[in-house]
Amino acid sequence: MTDNIYTPHLMTIKKVREEAEGIKTFTLEFNEPKLQKSFEYKPGQFGEVTIFGVGEAPISITSSPANKGYIELCVAKVGKVTQAMHQKREGEVIGFRGPYGNAFPFNELAGKDILFVGGGIGLAPLRSLINQMFAEREKFGKITILYGCQTPKRLLFMDEVERWGKQPNSQVLFTVDRADDTWQGNVGVITTLFTQVSFDAAKTYAVVVGPPIMYRFVIAECIKKRLADDHIIVSLERRMECGVGKCGHCQISGIYCCMDGPVFTYAQVKSLKEAV
Amino acid sequence: MNILKLEKSKLSGLLKSWNDDFEVMVPAVENGNLVFGNLGDYEPVLDFNGRPLLPPKEFMFPQIEKTFSFNAADNTKIGIETHLDNTKRVIWGIRPCDLKGIKTLDTIFLSKYVDAYYEARRNNTILMGLNCNEPCNYGFCSSCQSGPFANGDFDILFTDLGSDYLVNIGTKQGEKAVSKSLKLFKTATDADQKKASDIEAASRKAFKNLPAMATAQQRLPQYWDDVLWKQESVNCILCGGCNFVCPTCHCFNIEDVACDKQISTRMRYWDSCQLGGFTQMAAENTRPLQEERLRQRIFHKIVYTPDLYDGALGCTGCGRCIEVCPVEIDITHIIGRIKVK
Repeated sequence: MTDNIYTPHLMTIKKVREEAEGIKTFTLEFNEPKLQKSFEYKPGQFGEVTIFGVGEAPISITSSPANKGYIELCVAKVGKVTQAMHQKREGEVIGFRGPYGNAFPFNELAGKDILFVGGGIGLAPLRSLINQMFAEREKFGKITILYGCQTPKRLLFMDEVERWGKQPNSQVLFTVDRADDTWQGNVGVITTLFTQVSFDAAKTYAVVVGPPIMYRFVIAECIKKRLADDHIIVSLERRMECGVGKCGHCQISGIYCCMDGPVFTYAQVKSLKEAV
Repeated sequence: MNILKLEKSKLSGLLKSWNDDFEVMVPAVENGNLVFGNLGDYEPVLDFNGRPLLPPKEFMFPQIEKTFSFNAADNTKIGIETHLDNTKRVIWGIRPCDLKGIKTLDTIFLSKYVDAYYEARRNNTILMGLNCNEPCNYGFCSSCQSGPFANGDFDILFTDLGSDYLVNIGTKQGEKAVSKSLKLFKTATDADQKKASDIEAASRKAFKNLPAMATAQQRLPQYWDDVLWKQESVNCILCGGCNFVCPTCHCFNIEDVACDKQISTRMRYWDSCQLGGFTQMAAENTRPLQEERLRQRIFHKIVYTPDLYDGALGCTGCGRCIEVCPVEIDITHIIGRIKVK
């Protein structure tokens, strides 16, 4: 008998933080002491989250492995499971299985300049990598973070975003699609920020996570700036129900996004029909 | 073990002899269709042409199954109960196309991450094949290397020799299954085996208008943007029938059903890549058009599955998807359009 790969492991919610309008960050610890000790993951991986009585949904891990002893999930209230998750309070229990998927190529990125491009909730998986990079800051060159979302009320992790910008050799720019009365920053889609940054294309890797429509425009912008196809890294979203290459929903041109992805280079994605 | 021979009149008794230790599934008629049914509930149909309307897939991977029960005393304590089906089963009369289908499901469900639900059923199931002495309507197994005679993938294999069956034992499990009833069998002679190979040769010869599967496998990628997907899918009414009768389709949904405030049950059930919601996500649908969904079904069977699992073709040539399609979408017709460009 093999272990049941579909068994959700119980996690207790230690903290719930109202991150932005309709978005919460949950800090979680495993109930099983052994698992709490042994659980490891890499930035870019995800898990299948169970809200008991409601269902299961794939959610990326937003905390960084540099922070031990807990994981954080940043969840937008969108569907049935995420809405139910938003009702959960500290002390309540949810289910989690994972981590699944490949990860951002942390070691390959060492010594390079990094251009992060995050759109909306796409900042959540990027945050895992960004914080791990800042935890080992000396390994990386210039870090530029471009972040955009629909409205100021949807901006995530703003305390951290501002802190990132104050680190040496680091730059953060953010924009909103639609401003409100209080907003004094940039207005416009994320590609408008590209005019405000300069980078050495040969040394730079772009890491891009956002809604599908954003990829098409951001990738075009990166190519215009002469970034090579294998220097553009994306994380794709698909309906990953099982997480282990069985249920078929996340298949893209013969590969399973849940196992072979979700992280791909644009060079890989280009040859995958239906990918972006 | 030697190759055995069984008088046809003794088969019924043999099947009944397993009934004490196993749930014995046999071809049977329900609502005018040949299906697999429990020997305890159905009159077995032991002499039949073609293959049952539905493959025996459901005994390893049911259309709908309960995977977990979640019990909550309160919101901080959850009890998780796993539901594995360890029923011991014999399935008799599995045609070679369906044996190959189960083989394909084995590679999908048991490789890399093992699916415990499939594994439990599969480990408790004895597969008894029955070779096809003639092609069936819609069948094109011989272009898929999956028939009309089986080449492995069985525990026991029967070949109809007229008044007897030639009985090949494929595994230890098969050997064990017949060991109690060995007195019913005789040892097959060389002449019996010669007769079986003559029947096989005649059966292979009788296939007409076979689709060129090997060419399709090679050339399909060049047809990604071809107009044929739109033309072939235009009549599709999104019933999903092609997926539900397929011996290798394995896509499923996972869904929780609330029983009352404190308890829920996790179910998994077959899904269909032909339905519009299959790839629907919060942000967008990555396959919004029927032509894309038909292309996915054909590519998954003929290109992706062999790529993913050591060359194993995802189509067994059973022809069921052609038989059940209400608008005559025909995989052999599509394959026929794939030519050297």
